[in-house]
Amino acid sequence: MKTEEQKKIVLTDASMIITEACVQSGADVFIGYPITPSNRFYQYGGNRFPLFLAGPDEITVMQWMAGLSTAGRFPVTATAFPGLALMMEGLNMSYMMELPMLLIITQRLGPSTGSATTGAQGDLGVLHGAISGGYPLPVFCPSDFEDSWYLTHEAIKTSIALRTPVVLLTSKEMVMTSKSFDISDLKPLERLSMNFDSDPIELPYQTYRSGQKMVPPFVPAGNDEYQVRFNSSTHDNEGMIRKNNPESLNNTRRLKEKIEKRLNEYTFFEYDQQDDSKDLIVSYGISAEASRDACAEWRKSGHKASLLIVKTLLPVAPDILGIIRQFERVHFVEENITGLYREIIFGKMHADSVFSVEKIGSMITPEEIIKSLQS
Amino acid sequence: MTTNMLTDVKMPFCPGCGHGIIVKSISKSLEDIGYQPNDVVIVTDIGCAGLVDPLFNTHTVHGLHGRAPALGVGVAMGLNNKNKKVIVIQGDGGATIGLQHILEAARRNINLTLIVFNNLLYGMTGGQISGLSTDKFKSDRDLEPGIPPFDIVRLAHEAGAVSSARVVSPRNFNEYLKKALDAPGFSLIEMASMCTSYAVSKLKELEEYSEEENALTNRRAPVEATFRQTSSLFDRLQGIPRMFGSKIHQRLGIVLAGSAGGGVQSAAMLLAKAGTLSGLHSTMKGEYPVTVGTGFSIAEVILSTEPVHYTGLNKPDVLIIVSEDGLSVAKHLINKNVLVLADDKLDVSQYPEVISMPFVQEAGKRGAALSGLSEWIRRSGMLELQSLVEAIGKHKHGESLLKALFALEKKS
Ligand code: SF4
Repeated sequence: MKTEEQKKIVLTDASMIITEACVQSGADVFIGYPITPSNRFYQYGGNRFPLFLAGPDEITVMQWMAGLSTAGRFPVTATAFPGLALMMEGLNMSYMMELPMLLIITQRLGPSTGSATTGAQGDLGVLHGAISGGYPLPVFCPSDFEDSWYLTHEAIKTSIALRTPVVLLTSKEMVMTSKSFDISDLKPLERLSMNFDSDPIELPYQTYRSGQKMVPPFVPAGNDEYQVRFNSSTHDNEGMIRKNNPESLNNTRRLKEKIEKRLNEYTFFEYDQQDDSKDLIVSYGISAEASRDACAEWRKSGHKASLLIVKTLLPVAPDILGIIRQFERVHFVEENITGLYREIIFGKMHADSVFSVEKIGSMITPEEIIKSLQS
Repeated sequence: MTTNMLTDVKMPFCPGCGHGIIVKSISKSLEDIGYQPNDVVIVTDIGCAGLVDPLFNTHTVHGLHGRAPALGVGVAMGLNNKNKKVIVIQGDGGATIGLQHILEAARRNINLTLIVFNNLLYGMTGGQISGLSTDKFKSDRDLEPGIPPFDIVRLAHEAGAVSSARVVSPRNFNEYLKKALDAPGFSLIEMASMCTSYAVSKLKELEEYSEEENALTNRRAPVEATFRQTSSLFDRLQGIPRMFGSKIHQRLGIVLAGSAGGGVQSAAMLLAKAGTLSGLHSTMKGEYPVTVGTGFSIAEVILSTEPVHYTGLNKPDVLIIVSEDGLSVAKHLINKNVLVLADDKLDVSQYPEVISMPFVQEAGKRGAALSGLSEWIRRSGMLELQSLVEAIGKHKHGESLLKALFALEKKS
């Protein structure tokens, strides 16, 4: 138990916690283009990152990010759906070039410009299909302040380890709500370097040659030792454009394999299992807290339910599917009216055992979740 | 390691294509200046001009259509090293779609050289005109005659490029290139090129169709990326120790409803702080239209003896309304289970349970929300009023906030 003196209780928000976690983890550049509800990231990022750049638009932001990443910097940006839409081409480019970077997406009510100051969980579908060809893009989703701290670190770690852009998916309700919080609970984070955990360099160095880990060793453009060739088009190990040649197609296949192969290293979830329960509540992000409350309430009234809060949303991990499979009734709780995560798991097939607690315009309440459990 | 700028890869262009001449000039100029291949990063666009990567022994980065100048800006800022040279290569089509990126790089005077291969059209996709296709070239083909091309040289100059030039005759290529590559900061050089497949196959023809050679300079120091040392955001936050008691049991929700610019959000933040000072768990969130300076402004505060997970507030216990805007968005929350305090100028005659008080009259528009809070505290005793005084602490508007806090008390 901490004494009062050891605690440091402050009023803070997840924007601040995530920003601080980025910098402590070694991210050194924040490139922003202002958009609600990611504005606090812009503000905190400008105060805290070693380098802050004000992009003139989100297309430029992504290009600057990619360029900085080729030079060995770790860039971060924060946006919302309209900005993400403009970033899509650059995101695909960075994915193909295998450049580490973090995109923070703060969800707000859509479609289109929708309601900028209303929370939502509506962008998972876009991220699921973001990379042309259906290649997996790691998407992390914090459910509370503690996740905002540790999961941000894990997201950056994964990005560097796998040489890939990653997404931290948040929502207005998460990053613009202030809470009293004991920040002395957050342990200092390890500073990650850009040469994190790839295959060793073999000579002659080739930008995209990999070994067992399927992750080519990262060497920054402009270094004195090895010639580096980054390429956004289909390329061979050396980084040269090669169409339909087995080496370059293998390289393209590897983009999927490297991310899925090591999925267990970055699969995060919270599983609160209750023996003999037949109902499972599955939730993430801003609907997680209501789900926790609902589950506790339900149990208090003598019923049984288990709870799964998913924090690595994409790619979908076998562990997650394994848990879901064990239950007779599964209740998906997410703030959209199309059941984006449910659909990723179950597709369009209607099943009597699958329920959706869905809503737009305001947060899902614990009562609404309990109603689904009662049905 | 080789010191040759060029590999022995065969030129990937159609016979007679002007791009090959430019590539050789670039390599010659770099060697003349004394660069080693690993000192150079060539960033390329899409299109025929973007096929040059394999020709160079330098570092290469092959990006997207039109975006290479922005990508190059990122590389240059990431390197942040005067001894390294970033060169961006794109065609006239790329310069058209990515014009904004060029202006931005020039405005910032980023240390790189942008080389625009202008062959008057899009070669790779079959000869379509671009924003840099000249009027004469288009008029002769009856394609959008009378619409002038962008003068990319002047545009870059106006945006702040230290050096920007157009060179048409291959005789002048090396001289112009060396000047551009040597310029400290952002330099642009537009180089005329032949597209033998779709445009012209004779140099003389190209000279006729191209705009005049030109060279412009600005005197500016290049902008360097500065990587600062900063302190933790958490170190800048003051801890909020428990100093007061409270009568709140379990969870209490307070909604403040008013107009933008009326101090609603800051009053709510002070309440959350006062709650924390009283040993409670607090949450605070705001809701307002997209235009922050007009319309309604609502803030929700939850104070609880237990940690607050779900932060939604559908059934508040206390509602304080200080303006028409606030009333119109919060009236659906009024019922007999809620303690409602409203400004006395508001028409709440249909809600007999509402208590009206002269908040605006006594505390002013900006102080009304805070004065409403202090009235609630006085009536309910849920918190000590002193906790709000402490929360205000050294606030930059401390004096007026304190005035608002005690406005009604003075009155009674
Ligand atoms: S299409 Fe035109 S620009 Fe492209 S390589 Fe052929 S001649 Fe050169």
